[in-house]
Amino acid sequence: MSARTLAATETEREGVRIGVFICHCGGNISDVVDVKQVAAEVAKLPNVVFATTHTFVCSDPGQALIEGAIKEHALNRVIVAACSPTLHQATFRRAVERAGLNQFLFEHVNVREQCSWVSEDAAGSTAKATRLVRAAVARIRHLEPLDKRRIAIHPSALVIGGGVAGLVAARDLARRGMRVTLVENHPFLGGRMAQLDRVFPTGEKARDLLARVIEEVVRDPRITVLTDAEILDSEGIVGDFRTRIRINPRGVNEHLAYRGNAIAACPEETINEFDFGLSRRKAIYMAYPGCYPPMPAIDWHTCTKCGKCVWAVGGKGIDLEAQPREIEVHSGVIVLATGYDPYEPLYGEYGYGSFPRILTLQQLIRLLDPEGPTGGQIPVDNTARPRIGFIHCVGARQIEGVNQRQPDGKVKDYCARTCCTGALHAALTIKEHWPQASIVSLYQDIRTYGRGHEEYYEKASAQGVLFIRYDPRHPPKVEKDPTGQSALLVRVNDLLSGGLDLELPLDLLVLATGVVPHDISELINMYRCAVGYDSFLLEVHPKLRPVELAVSGVFLAGCCQGPMDITEATGAASAAASKAAALIAQGNVEMDPFIARVDETHCTGCQTCLTVCPYEAISRDAETRVAHVNEALCTGCGTCAATCPSDAIQQFGFTDAQVVSEVRALLTAARAATIA
Amino acid sequence: MAQATHVQPDAAATAAPWQPRIVAFLCYWCSYTGADNAGTARLKYPPNVDIVRVMCSGRIDPALVTEAFARGADGVMVCGCHIGDCHYISGNHKTMARMPLLRRTLAGLGLEDGRFVHEWVSAAEGEKFAKLVRQVVEQVRALGPLDWPGRLRERGVGHGMDLERWREHA
Repeated sequence: MSARTLAATETEREGVRIGVFICHCGGNISDVVDVKQVAAEVAKLPNVVFATTHTFVCSDPGQALIEGAIKEHALNRVIVAACSPTLHQATFRRAVERAGLNQFLFEHVNVREQCSWVSEDAAGSTAKATRLVRAAVARIRHLEPLDKRRIAIHPSALVIGGGVAGLVAARDLARRGMRVTLVENHPFLGGRMAQLDRVFPTGEKARDLLARVIEEVVRDPRITVLTDAEILDSEGIVGDFRTRIRINPRGVNEHLAYRGNAIAACPEETINEFDFGLSRRKAIYMAYPGCYPPMPAIDWHTCTKCGKCVWAVGGKGIDLEAQPREIEVHSGVIVLATGYDPYEPLYGEYGYGSFPRILTLQQLIRLLDPEGPTGGQIPVDNTARPRIGFIHCVGARQIEGVNQRQPDGKVKDYCARTCCTGALHAALTIKEHWPQASIVSLYQDIRTYGRGHEEYYEKASAQGVLFIRYDPRHPPKVEKDPTGQSALLVRVNDLLSGGLDLELPLDLLVLATGVVPHDISELINMYRCAVGYDSFLLEVHPKLRPVELAVSGVFLAGCCQGPMDITEATGAASAAASKAAALIAQGNVEMDPFIARVDETHCTGCQTCLTVCPYEAISRDAETRVAHVNEALCTGCGTCAATCPSDAIQQFGFTDAQVVSEVRALLTAARAATIA
Repeated sequence: MAQATHVQPDAAATAAPWQPRIVAFLCYWCSYTGADNAGTARLKYPPNVDIVRVMCSGRIDPALVTEAFARGADGVMVCGCHIGDCHYISGNHKTMARMPLLRRTLAGLGLEDGRFVHEWVSAAEGEKFAKLVRQVVEQVRALGPLDWPGRLRERGVGHGMDLERWREHA
């Protein structure tokens, strides 16, 4: 603060006409604070032309009183001393605005929460209320009209994640006329849904459904699809996000004619993550039949750039020296559709990894897929009458103290919601192909909660799937069959038979594994997302604002928010698209005007403010060599104003003159009171 | 219309020659809401602390604190969001860095420890706020009047010039 601002004193300012309204709050204030006395005291202050009290200033008659007084007394500043500004500041600002006054020429004094409700000392509270109103009078003299900032919303969206939720969100946004950029981390679209075979409850092929959505997306000229692309960083706020994206080279372009030859020629192999490690793939590969984009991609971690593929296709269509490129995408809103990962059992959890013939549900689904690695065959030794067991709730509904903690130190205590129906669906598929198979299902509770899902349970029961209920505190134990007659032996205590200890010889054990969020820690930091205890992203309110993040302009679609089946994920995606489109349709967002501004004539260009701004909203203008505040990024904390050694930065609504005169008025009153 | 009860000034309060005057700078998002919380819960504290609202504790220029003392405050409180809870990401980190330096400066100027209090109060900590106010009022009362303006004048700071005019013309 400099002498300039310190010159602010409690003297009259020409042309300022202040009206003061003191609220009784129906006795809440007036039972302790002598409101009439406060009004009489402040009426004596310079510039105060009108001071009164009212039972409820926030009521319609109370607001009418303000509006009438503004007109009658030509008021150009209004003070209301009432409850906390968090309650009714907006109400009074609207009333002031209705009377034709700028809404920021209003000052709210809190004499209920800060005076009458916290003290029974009537004289002391009356004196305190008088000081506070007096300080507001001093402060309001220095208020200037301000306008709410309107930030135009760029009519475009960035959708992060090219699984079914991201695809549906992109499609729905584009249909409303938005320009959409869809960013997928992998070289192929489709996400986790592409790894499924037939889906409940309709029994349609997952990839056929997916192909229909992908077709709608890629055909739409308003959607730009970026595959093998990663988000580097993002800045900006709602309406104006700028995201830097790195697009990794595919290595293959549309001139590639003989892709089969190229793939066959590749000598490098690696584990195929699409089949959850059940098969191997080449360094140049297609993820699955009918994938999009319909051309191979090169996995640069595996490729040795030996050039055999280039030879095999006659040098056309493959570029092993392609470089990644970076682009910046400008968007008004962001939709996060980053999806989930299947839970990977810990080593030794139900024998996983230690014994053969143990699969996860996701692996079984890949094996049952006619287009899968085995063409629909399952690995059992006893093909005549395979004994297959399912254990439900693996990596879901875990209990602290019973289940081993995950690497993040927590147990997965939530229900993964999709695995009950998924496991029963897989069991029925097995029954369909191998009616002689005997299937046992070891469960805690069967949660086939969705429409048409319960039928799978009834059908499975009817077809002889044996249900054995286990106590989650005493989960089944898996060991190798000592007799060698079967692959595995599972010991379980069956609650339904009154606690019989059962030994089940099995040829194949399937772990119905849960759902964990895909690791997006960088995005979480970038967008400052709220995260729940279960590590999924947290919406603003589960019922009232279920697809919005607390960060304005960022929406949630699908499994990044929690376990969902495809029906729910696409529903959430459409909801997120609607919400995002509704925001864009507003055209602009309104924000408080309390931002910082640099007085260029006083700025010395020391750049201290640049180091304290939490939003990196201040930069140094190369030409003028002084600081410059980006109004779109400034959120109005005022830290720079407190830091500037030259007092060249002022925060609107909290200028040095305003705050200093407020402090002085409080203490002038104090001195006066002491003398009296 | 409910009649305002006219209250006679408390005899004890008027008889007391001096009441501590304390200014509290509170950030809007946590501490101010915490003070509201104390009010909503009807927690009692003496009416000696006057609250000045800022958007973020990062806005609290140390010069505001010295200004309050120079103008006759007997004590000053600075409250903000707990570290990690700042509505503006890291505004309170600056407060955390500034206030200890300010405390040392004030001590160097001869200000008794206890007149300047810096504490984090969250929006939910109404009880903490009320307790803090009671404690600060008591400790400042025990220290007695500060009267910094008077002391400065006594010691001839400002070369015997009228301090007010000297500052305004500097």
